[in-house]
Amino acid sequence: MMSYFFQLLVSGIVVGSIYALAALGFVLIYKSSKVLNLAHGQIIAAGAFITYALTGWVGIPIYLSFLLSMVITFFLAMSVEKIFLRRLIGEPIISIIMVTIGLMSILDGIIFLTPFGSVNFSFPQFLPQELISFGGVSISWTQLVGVIITAIMIGGFSWFFKKSTVGISMRAVSDDQFASMSVGISVPRVFGLAWATAGLSAAAAGGIIGNITGLNFETLQAFGITVFPIVILGGLDSILGAVVAGIIMGVIQQFASGYLDGNFGLNGTAEVLPYIILLIILLFKPHGLFGIHEIERV
Amino acid sequence: MKNMKWLVLSVFVATFFIVSCGQKEEAKVEEKKEAAEAMVYKLGMCLAITGPTSDAGDPMSKGAKDYFRYVNDMKLLGEDKLECDIRDDQYKTENTKRNFEDFLDQGIVFYLNYSTDSTQSLKKDIEEEKIPTTPASYHAGNLVDADYIFLPIASYSAQAIGLAEYIVKNHTGGTPKVAMYVHSSAFGRAPVADVKKAVAAGLDMEIVVVVEHGKDLDNTAMLKRLSKKGVQYIICQTTQSPVATMLKDASRLGLVAKTFGEKGKITFTGCHYTGGNDLVALAGPAAENFYWTTSFNITSEPGVWTDAQLAIAKQYGRNEKTAKSHNYSGGIMMAQVATEVILRAKARGKKITREALYDELLAMNGVNAFYPVVTVGPVTYSKTDKAGVDTLQLYAVKNGEFKSVGKPFIPEYTGKIK
Repeated sequence: MMSYFFQLLVSGIVVGSIYALAALGFVLIYKSSKVLNLAHGQIIAAGAFITYALTGWVGIPIYLSFLLSMVITFFLAMSVEKIFLRRLIGEPIISIIMVTIGLMSILDGIIFLTPFGSVNFSFPQFLPQELISFGGVSISWTQLVGVIITAIMIGGFSWFFKKSTVGISMRAVSDDQFASMSVGISVPRVFGLAWATAGLSAAAAGGIIGNITGLNFETLQAFGITVFPIVILGGLDSILGAVVAGIIMGVIQQFASGYLDGNFGLNGTAEVLPYIILLIILLFKPHGLFGIHEIERV
Repeated sequence: MKNMKWLVLSVFVATFFIVSCGQKEEAKVEEKKEAAEAMVYKLGMCLAITGPTSDAGDPMSKGAKDYFRYVNDMKLLGEDKLECDIRDDQYKTENTKRNFEDFLDQGIVFYLNYSTDSTQSLKKDIEEEKIPTTPASYHAGNLVDADYIFLPIASYSAQAIGLAEYIVKNHTGGTPKVAMYVHSSAFGRAPVADVKKAVAAGLDMEIVVVVEHGKDLDNTAMLKRLSKKGVQYIICQTTQSPVATMLKDASRLGLVAKTFGEKGKITFTGCHYTGGNDLVALAGPAAENFYWTTSFNITSEPGVWTDAQLAIAKQYGRNEKTAKSHNYSGGIMMAQVATEVILRAKARGKKITREALYDELLAMNGVNAFYPVVTVGPVTYSKTDKAGVDTLQLYAVKNGEFKSVGKPFIPEYTGKIK
C-alpha cells in the first residue's frame, strides 16, 4: 500500500519536473519582456524534431544531437524574435501576443512542410532498458535523465537570473524598459536573449518529452498549452514557481489517477482536478504561488 | 400580285422546311458527338492532410489520389475521367463544411469525408443533398438517422466487440477482466456502450473500468491501479500516440503479457486507429505483443493484395513509409468503392448521378459484393447494412512488425446487439 503511494509520488515528481522544464520557456520570455509566447509548443516540437533529424538522418550520436538541437533552437528562437517581434518593442503587449499566435500558424505551416508534420518517429534507444527500483518504487532511465536535465537547466537559469550581469539586466528590462535603456542596457538584445534561452529550454523539453511519447507533432505541440496552467499557478515570472507548480500538478494528476479514477464512479479526474486546484489557489493568490505583485505609487 | 404572294409563301415554307431538317440533322450529329465525348465525373474528398491526425489523413489522401490517377491513366472507365478534388481541412470542421459547400457547387456525385466530428456535423447536409458519402471515421453513430453515409469497413464498435470476443474465446480460467482505454470523444466512447451491450447479451467478460485518457506523460498510476484490480486485458479505442506512451510505461513496469492472456500481466489490444506502422514507430520495442484489429490487409504480411498496393505507390513515386501505411490502403479503398459504383452504373447504362450511385451502393451485396484487394473481406452494403467490410483480421506485433493471428473473422455479437 505504501509502495503504491510512493510510486505515485515519485511518478508525480518526475512528470512535474518535465512540466516545469516545458513551462520554463514561458517564464523566461515573460520574465524579461512581459510577453506570453503562445507558439511555445511549436518550438518544443521543433527542438525534438531537430534532435531526431540530426541523429536519424545525419547520423550524429543522440547525446550530441540533443546538445546541438539546443544550440540550433537557441539561434532559431533568437532569429524569430529579430524578424517578427523586434519591431514591436514598446507596442501594447496584446499586439505582441497576437503576433505570437500568428507565429504559431507560421511554425505549424513550416513543420507541415517537413515529414514530421504527418509522419511519426521515435528516438533510437540510447538509455538502458532496466528499471531503477528502490523499495518497490521504480522509474525508467529516460525519466531519471529527464529529471536530471530539468534540474540542471532550472538551477542554471536561476543562477543566471540572480547572479550574472546579463541575467540581472534582463530582469531590469522586465521591470522598466525605459529606465533600463537610460542606464545603457540594450533592450532589443535582452529580448533576443530571452527568446533564445526560451528556445534552448524548449529544445531540451522537446527532447525529453519526445523520448517519452514518441515524435508526434500533435502530441508535442500540445504540451505548450498543457503546461500553461502551471505557468499561471507558479507565477508567470518565477522559475521557482514553475518548478513547484509543475510538481504540484504532476503529483495531483498521479494521485487523482491512482486513487480517484475508477472509484466512486469517477473517471478522468487526473485531467480535471489540477485545474480545480489551480482555480482555488488563484482565488487566494491571484498572482500565482511565486508571482510578483507589483504595486505602483502614483 | 397573287402570283407574287404565292411565290413568297412557297419560299418561306421551303426555307422553314430546309432549316428544320437542318436543325434535326444538327441535333442528331450533336447527340452522336455527345455520346462519343468523354464524360468527367466530379468527386470531392476532404480530410486532415495537415494538422491533428494528419499522420493518418496525409497517407489516406495520397492513397485516394493515386487510385483516382490510376483509374484515369489505365482508362478503367474508358474515355471517361474521374476528377476528385482532394482538400485539406486541417481537422477543422468549419473548413470541412466550407469545402463541402464548394464541392456541391462543383456538382460532385460522390463525397469522401474524414473525421467523426465533421461527419456528424455534415450529416444533415449529406441527407438533404442525397449525396453518397464514405467517411474515414468508422464510428457507428455516423449511420444513425443517415441513409447516404456508408462506412468503408466494420465500425469501431464491431472492432471492439471482435477484440472482446477473441479475448473471451482465448482466455483460460474464469471470466476475463477487461479495461477499456478510450479517447474522450464520441469516436472513443461509442464502442464502450456497444461492448457493454454485448456483455449484457451474453459475452462472458467483465468490464472492470473504462479509462478516458488525457495527454499523459506517465501512466504508472493508471496501470498499477488496473493491475491491482486484476485487469488482464485492455481494449484501446483512440489514436496511436497515447497508446504508445501507455505501452512504454507498461513495458517499463514489466506488465506487458508476452503471450496472449499471460497470467499476472496485461494483454494490450486495440481498434483500427491505434495500430499499424505508426504505433511501432512511436512505441518502438514496447509495441511488441500489441494485438490490433482492422479490415485491411497490411504490407508486413505480403501477398498479391499488398503487391498491388505497393505497385500503385511505386507508380506514383510514393516513399516506403506511405506505401506501407494502412491509411494509404484506406485511401485506396475509399477511392475504389467510389470508382466501382460509377463503373457499375455505367455498365447498366445509367446516367451518373448521386441517386444512381446510391442505388449501386445499396445493390452491392450477395453476388454483387465488391472485392477490393486491400481488405480482408468483401464490401457489402444494403438498405440495412451500411458498414462495408464486415470481416476483421487480428494482427500482433512480432519482432517489430504486425503479423496475422488466426483467420479473418466476423464478430458474432454485432448482429446480436442490433
